[in-house]
Amino acid sequence: MAFQPTKQVYSGRIREVTLGQGDKAVTIGGKAAYPFHTFEAEAPRPPRVAMEIWDKDPSADWSEVAQAPFKDVLGDPAAWAKKCVDAYGAEILVVQTKSADPNAENRSAAEVAEVVTKVVNAVEVPVVVWGVANHDKDVEVMRLVAEKCAGRRLAVSPVEEGDYKQIGAACLGYKHIVVASSPIDVNLAKQLNILLGNLGVVTQDMIIDPTTGGLGYGLEYTYSVMERIMQAALTQEDEKLQQPIIANVGNEVWKSKEANLSAEDAPELGDPEKRGVLMESIAAVDLLLAGADVVVLRHPESVKLVKGFIEKMI
Amino acid sequence: MKLIGENLNIMSTKYGKALKERDAKTLQELAIQEAEAGMDWIDLNIGPAGKTGVELMSWLVPVVHEVVDLPLALDTSNIKAIEAGLKVHKKGRPLINSIMVRPERMEALLPLAAEYDADFVGLLWGPEGMPRDENERGALCADLVFKATGEYGIDPERILIDPIQTPVNVQQGQIMSVLEFMKMFQDIAPGCRSTIGLSNVSNGPPEHLRPILNQVMLMIWKRHGLFSAIVDTFDTPLHDIARGKRPDLEALVHKVEDGEPIDMASLSKEEIGYVKTAKVILGSTLYSDSWLEV
Repeated sequence: MAFQPTKQVYSGRIREVTLGQGDKAVTIGGKAAYPFHTFEAEAPRPPRVAMEIWDKDPSADWSEVAQAPFKDVLGDPAAWAKKCVDAYGAEILVVQTKSADPNAENRSAAEVAEVVTKVVNAVEVPVVVWGVANHDKDVEVMRLVAEKCAGRRLAVSPVEEGDYKQIGAACLGYKHIVVASSPIDVNLAKQLNILLGNLGVVTQDMIIDPTTGGLGYGLEYTYSVMERIMQAALTQEDEKLQQPIIANVGNEVWKSKEANLSAEDAPELGDPEKRGVLMESIAAVDLLLAGADVVVLRHPESVKLVKGFIEKMI
Repeated sequence: MKLIGENLNIMSTKYGKALKERDAKTLQELAIQEAEAGMDWIDLNIGPAGKTGVELMSWLVPVVHEVVDLPLALDTSNIKAIEAGLKVHKKGRPLINSIMVRPERMEALLPLAAEYDADFVGLLWGPEGMPRDENERGALCADLVFKATGEYGIDPERILIDPIQTPVNVQQGQIMSVLEFMKMFQDIAPGCRSTIGLSNVSNGPPEHLRPILNQVMLMIWKRHGLFSAIVDTFDTPLHDIARGKRPDLEALVHKVEDGEPIDMASLSKEEIGYVKTAKVILGSTLYSDSWLEV
């Protein structure tokens, strides 16, 4: 008898969410089959590669390798943003509001919102504003950002169980997208989507961030959670989980010790020029295979590698 | 199904205090209530009870037996306290709760079970902690039964295997694995019986939603041939299920388990709640705290 491959039966589809506005708006989601299972069902929209910038000069925190491509713009977030788009092909831009961190610089919400607004005005691609996961401070910052950038359809992240009412309301009021963020737990991811729905956030305005564990630092947990979300959404008609997924990859990978050690400090870990980039790219590819619709990357070489991977897979 | 009343517990504010103060009257009142509620055993959970364990258990067993005739479950990790309880247990057959599948626990406690002809709960918790799937459960169960019946000549009927109940809101797959284990249980351990710490299924979900999770889990356990369960003495709706007084709801939960189509529109609000709960326990719907509302 001829070989009969197993046929996966799908009963659901990931909803589409459009970020940004105008010609450069990006629609994500739409999957009706597991990631890259193009032999089972068409995937109308390939996953996207976003690039991250910081709202402050990251020189003190970043290794030489990570800084090198941006040497000329690290002190100017707007110029940095433009470089990501114009020189490195970022399709979506993520601003990490690191300067707001109460445990570090603790810049005021007004200052942070001003820088974010400059970045948003400097580029036409959609922008994700990524906070510091401190509920009080994120609420303060995101409320202002939401107001100053009204109508731009930003995505605001992370929106967690502890601050979803405040940040969710700001997004509702100024028509932005909510990135529902839960701590690597599929049941809590579902619950937060339900709570946001009860608040009035519609499914066209909701993305899931299941929280990314870096390579060697919990990546496999994130992988499992995304995989489970995909199963529930596509095969169990779990309509609360049929939202696109974003993964904040670069930020997690590059903060690990291994991504930044020099050749002298860790000769056994190989060429530091390639090491961080490969760690970032591998983590991104893993999460794309698990179901991510957007991966956020730091290094232009990683962007190139991951985009190349996506092109070959679709 | 047999029931083990769990309320006499060192962790309880009221009875923990009574244990510490050796307040016989409060504990005897509870024992009488447990007997009236139809419990088959009364669990005496005194915790690890370091230095005081022997004295406490030696005191507690006769105090409870002064007012009820039920057999008692000696629930402590303190081996000497278990032995002290066995010595003074004069009404019916005592139940050792529990013996883990770890060499040092088995070697210390199995001889006592044999000597006192006691029942015991064989907890499938191995040298490496909780089993990861049904096969590891099967292996631990076989080890324990082989050792107990072979080396110590214990009658399989004396053994109540506890395959470990896990909460529905973390790793739901563990519930499927423990149910799979139950399908092979009688082949692995012929003649042995079983029990479960039922309420752990709802450990984590919102407090007011715990009863329905416990009830549906019990319906599923019944169908898988569970012999006994450790339960809240005062949860009458749960006892009704254990005693087969809700065949309507049980039939509905079985339909969910069998994957039969269910016409939700024809069901009452109560019935819909049971169907939804069965779906989250059995993994066809992903758990969230709002599972009854979606």
